[in-house]
Amino acid sequence: MSSMGAISIWTTEPEALLTMRDISKSFLGVRVLSHIGFDCRAGEVHALCGENGAGKSTLMKILSGAFPADEGTIVLDGTVRRFTHPSQARAAGIGIIHQELSLLPHRSVAENIYLGREPSRGGVVDRARMGRDARRVLSRLGSTIEPQAQTGDLTIAEQQVVEIAKALAVDARVLVFDEPTAPLDVVESGKLFRVIAELRATGVAIIYISHRMREVFEIADRVTVLKDGRGMATLTAAQATPDAVIRLMVGRPISDLFPPRATRPPGAVVLQIQDGANGHLAGINLTLRAGEIMGVAGLEGSGKMELARAIFGDEPFTSGEITLLSGAAAAWSPREAVRRGVAFLPDDRKSEGLGLRQSLRDNALVVRRSLSRALALPSRGNRAPAIFDALFRKVEMRAADVDAPVGRLSGGNQQKVIVARWLAAEPRLWIVAEPTRGIDVGAKAAIYGLLRDYAESGGAVLMISSDLTEIIGESDRIAVMAGGRIVVELPPGASEEAIMAHAVHGPQVAEALA
Amino acid sequence: MSGAAIPRGGLAKFRLPLALVICAAVVYAATALGTAQGEQLSWSGVMGLLQRMVALGIVAVGQTLVLLVGSIDLSVANLISVSAVIASHVMNGNTDAIALGVLAAIAIGILVGAVNGVLVAKLKVSPLIATLGVGLVLQGVLTTSYETLAGSVPASFRVLAYGRVAGLPLAILLLIVVVALAGFVLARTAAGYRLYGVGGNVQTARLAGIRTDRFIIGAHIAASVTAAISGLYLASWLGAGTPWVGRDGGYDLDSIAVVVIGGTLLSGGRGGVAGTIAGVFVFATIDAVFNMLQIDPFLGQVLRGVIVVGAVASYTIRTKAHVA
Repeated sequence: MSSMGAISIWTTEPEALLTMRDISKSFLGVRVLSHIGFDCRAGEVHALCGENGAGKSTLMKILSGAFPADEGTIVLDGTVRRFTHPSQARAAGIGIIHQELSLLPHRSVAENIYLGREPSRGGVVDRARMGRDARRVLSRLGSTIEPQAQTGDLTIAEQQVVEIAKALAVDARVLVFDEPTAPLDVVESGKLFRVIAELRATGVAIIYISHRMREVFEIADRVTVLKDGRGMATLTAAQATPDAVIRLMVGRPISDLFPPRATRPPGAVVLQIQDGANGHLAGINLTLRAGEIMGVAGLEGSGKMELARAIFGDEPFTSGEITLLSGAAAAWSPREAVRRGVAFLPDDRKSEGLGLRQSLRDNALVVRRSLSRALALPSRGNRAPAIFDALFRKVEMRAADVDAPVGRLSGGNQQKVIVARWLAAEPRLWIVAEPTRGIDVGAKAAIYGLLRDYAESGGAVLMISSDLTEIIGESDRIAVMAGGRIVVELPPGASEEAIMAHAVHGPQVAEALA
Repeated sequence: MSGAAIPRGGLAKFRLPLALVICAAVVYAATALGTAQGEQLSWSGVMGLLQRMVALGIVAVGQTLVLLVGSIDLSVANLISVSAVIASHVMNGNTDAIALGVLAAIAIGILVGAVNGVLVAKLKVSPLIATLGVGLVLQGVLTTSYETLAGSVPASFRVLAYGRVAGLPLAILLLIVVVALAGFVLARTAAGYRLYGVGGNVQTARLAGIRTDRFIIGAHIAASVTAAISGLYLASWLGAGTPWVGRDGGYDLDSIAVVVIGGTLLSGGRGGVAGTIAGVFVFATIDAVFNMLQIDPFLGQVLRGVIVVGAVASYTIRTKAHVA
């Protein structure tokens, strides 16, 4: 592997394998990057932190050849490089593990790893060699995934390993991880960190982008913070305390992220489930009162998402009793749930939450329209600016152009559009799944504030999340799920260790750790 | 899964097409015996059945490539007519002009395929619209200029449809060659692997350094060439091309139907020619069976529709079950 050469550099002086010097970039006259300097050494994990819009992804897109910088240079291994197409950057040894995996589900693992560079003789693919090579790359990652397996059959975590193998197969010496743990649970994230540690040990330079502060501090050797297109500072692991980094990112300490907990005792019962069960869930008993935020934690596959879907009627309980606001809920469906005042914020914003090509207005009003009479005239409020002006004011969103497609907004603003949509329906119970996945710290704080305000005004919130920081910081009660059951209910402020212990030692422990 | 290389999917992928082929064959045999038409099961009877597959089979192979790359071609039926008419016109009963006629038909195929491909890949026109439009243009030009394009193929060219090599009809041989060639390219060559890559996810393929436009254009050219070959075969079969031969044969929608019956995804990235040929066999058998029973062939159309919808539904259900 060519990365071996890099290790010798290590022993003399830690010299950067990759240096981005004085990078500036403007779009339509707006400067989004201003004289940013960034470097990464072989055998180093260098984290890149910043809010959405700080310039992280623009910087990485310049590195990957998606578009060129206006000013500045990229030096890779002592040579100045200029990439005009992503495949050039890839060939030069820069691999990017995107948040959204880009594998072909119907092709085998080996076919994915070697796509576009299949070992072949006279155009005929040498399949035996391809399988062997794939197995070798995978084993370097400590993985035993079968190269002939169909990629779509693998778990997300396994697919991510395949994605990393794909980058390594082109001798990537610089690997960029863009929010890699967003779709993973804690156990899978731990496995990924071990893989990253292995890669670091073999001399790969690793750039790590994440909104999850905890993991940044867990694995990074250095942390560079960007804010508003400028490099704020590069800190060593010792200097980079959570408070220092967040202060650099947003200009306020972490404790301000979460609003204070409920001030009043919980009110009337909003939701009660007795012995709820379906194909994914068993023995669900749960009571949720007005004014409460209940956090639901659990590993991937623990049933926490299925619980959300069951309550919302997407995949309803097939046995047991669900009572909403003292009325038994029979023939449960999403429409029935919406009518009875349940709101749902799905975990996959892009595929389930939004019509990305439709306007902000249409996205914000979809629930209201679904509840109005089919032949209601648009003038009866469905198009009235006053309505979404009021909605957007509530979610603290400055809507410049309500006719712009919602796909153009940042993740945080997209989430606010979904929140606004449900506020229009005046829900009594709000089910939110991964409410802050992939959105920046500033928008996170706004969402936490909105949920708390909603609870304080008499609503009930069920918050499903893989982010233990928000489970602990926001919840009044914490339910931990494993194997399709609620295994324990913990008081507010329970420790991360306590939650994990229950999540892991549920009935599926063997499978989760396998 | 571990240890020795396990062939992925194995026969499982082909389970439904295989089941359809066996069912179709059994129904065919039972009908032949039940209606005392045993001669349909003789060598020549079976060859007659297989020969029904040729025109649709060749163009369906091309359609498979286009669907795999994530596009679609609605112009093939009209192109078949163009090819048949042009070939008969150029040959005009003259044995010496056979090569020229074939060349002219293939050249038009390449041209039409390139236009389709460029519209889809470069100008980003939706393939449904692009190829529908090109098909309409072809049909219009053909219908208005048919009188000046009259002609017929020479007797020696009709060997393609009626000749035999060692008892095997030449036309079936031609189909086998086309299928084998496409199957080899898809399953064994780097080009085939990349075609699946482009159809599975254009962006992924592009980032892997694949020149995706070339594959989309290439697949369209391949499809149009297969349509041209089908047109040549039909000219040879009928003795002369007519401007309606492709449209009346329903080769546009039928070619898409047999491809999806064979398990190829309409959205691209999964499938292959083996399934397509199974679909063609099923369609040919339906025709033959209805013929033997002397039932209105339009009822066959109903059965075809049911099979297409049923097959696609069964794939979708299986895929969903897989995910869950």
